[in-house]
Amino acid sequence: MVRFENVGMRYASGPEVLRDVSFTLESGSFTFLTGPSGAGKSSLLKLVFLAERPSRGLVTLFGCDLARLKRADLPALRRRIGVVFQEFRLLDHLSAFDNVALPLRLAGLRPAEYRRDVEELLSWVGLGARLHAKPPTLSGGEQQRVAIARAVVAKPDLLLADEPTGNVDPDMGERLIRLFVELNRFGTTVMIATHDRALIESTRAREMRLVDGRLIEMRA
Amino acid sequence: MTRSQARIPAKERGKGRILPREEGAASLDLVIAVMAFLASLAFGAVLIADRMAQTWQAGLAGKLTVQVLPEGESLPSAEVDKAIAVLRATPGVLYASALSDADNLALVEPWLGHDAVIAALPFPRLIDVQLAPGATPDIAGLEKKLTSVAPHAVLDDHGRWIGRLKSTANNVVLSALAVLALIAIATAATVAFATRAGLTAHREIVQLLHLMGARDRFIARAFEWHYFMAALLAAACGAGIGALVFFAAGSLDQIGLTTISFLPPLGLALAELPWLALIPTAAAVIAWGTARLSVIAALHEFY
Repeated sequence: MVRFENVGMRYASGPEVLRDVSFTLESGSFTFLTGPSGAGKSSLLKLVFLAERPSRGLVTLFGCDLARLKRADLPALRRRIGVVFQEFRLLDHLSAFDNVALPLRLAGLRPAEYRRDVEELLSWVGLGARLHAKPPTLSGGEQQRVAIARAVVAKPDLLLADEPTGNVDPDMGERLIRLFVELNRFGTTVMIATHDRALIESTRAREMRLVDGRLIEMRA
Repeated sequence: MTRSQARIPAKERGKGRILPREEGAASLDLVIAVMAFLASLAFGAVLIADRMAQTWQAGLAGKLTVQVLPEGESLPSAEVDKAIAVLRATPGVLYASALSDADNLALVEPWLGHDAVIAALPFPRLIDVQLAPGATPDIAGLEKKLTSVAPHAVLDDHGRWIGRLKSTANNVVLSALAVLALIAIATAATVAFATRAGLTAHREIVQLLHLMGARDRFIARAFEWHYFMAALLAAACGAGIGALVFFAAGSLDQIGLTTISFLPPLGLALAELPWLALIPTAAAVIAWGTARLSVIAALHEFY
């Protein structure tokens, strides 16, 4: 599913934020990415969801060597990835419903085809009564749940989440992790970057730790 | 159903605009409206020049004029009669008759005004000649015959005059087309600039859509549609004001308030006004194409 071989990354001409990172995410695996702030977790996720290019090394995604892909091939790959951004990145002018429906619109589906799924998912994350609320009127926790619903609504092959439970109470955090586990059971490969030890301990998933841009396998 | 679900009908859900409504776009609308107004003036000039060239040509085609010039203070009347006789005997000539003094005065009135002194000026005698439709008399032969019986006669087939008018009309049309081209370039540059500004303002949204797998043309479509509609509406306002100006000028012509009587009427006929609808259409197409090219070029900066 995802393979990194001796990957290095730097922003512009700055220092390397990732160094010689090598790992493989098998299809259907569930992995936590941990490490202190500034260790490079978000940068590593950016490489996986194709927001940045590596400075060196080899990245293979869904069996494709990214260095050999044409730019026109990338949107199809990106649509197979669901991302929960740390800062949510919701569209403030769209309702919670329209934000969650966005990946399905991008996939070319019509509203009649996805309306029920989106409403059910928003109800599942506890926002059934706030379908048409705009993000600025939602609390941090509610925005986070909309962001998670948006990332999972298209049942992506790969789900990446950056601190997905940082703004919700423990009960909702547990509910969300159950959503990820459920999705993983149906075949989605999941990688979650988090500091939340309770979240990590609640599953027996693999843990990879980044320290100063280098990857250390903690729990296979 | 909860209160918030009831706010938007179910069939409307999922149709939210990808881009938020543009704020501060009034200046772009104003620029496009002004461009469209100027374009309508230039385009109106094309229509008027073309119509006048045709009118002049149609009015003078099939006509000849013979001038019998005065000799000193006196007019050789006998030469006028002889010239008319030659003309009437020429095959293809339907009608030949000398203009009256009143007709002569009416001809010079727009240039010299109505004054008693003018009547005393030594005018040439003009003979109006109407040819049969399709008749092509031998002008050089006719001129030779005329001068043999009336040495002071000068034949004018209006060829030079028509040529000058056509050349003037062509110059007006070409100048107006050049102005239209400049306006189109300026409009495209303005829309390109506005699109770039829009992309910068919505960079977060564009980047997010890009990362979610939106193809360039999907993102471009959101911009294209926005600028297409903005240009269509703004240019319709500008061209509408242009149409009103031409309509007002036409109304002044009709009630005889034009200041310079020998200039062509500056108004557009009602049947010509719909041509101005091409301006908002062209503006919308230019805006659409420019926005598309600008967005796609900008998106190539993303990985």
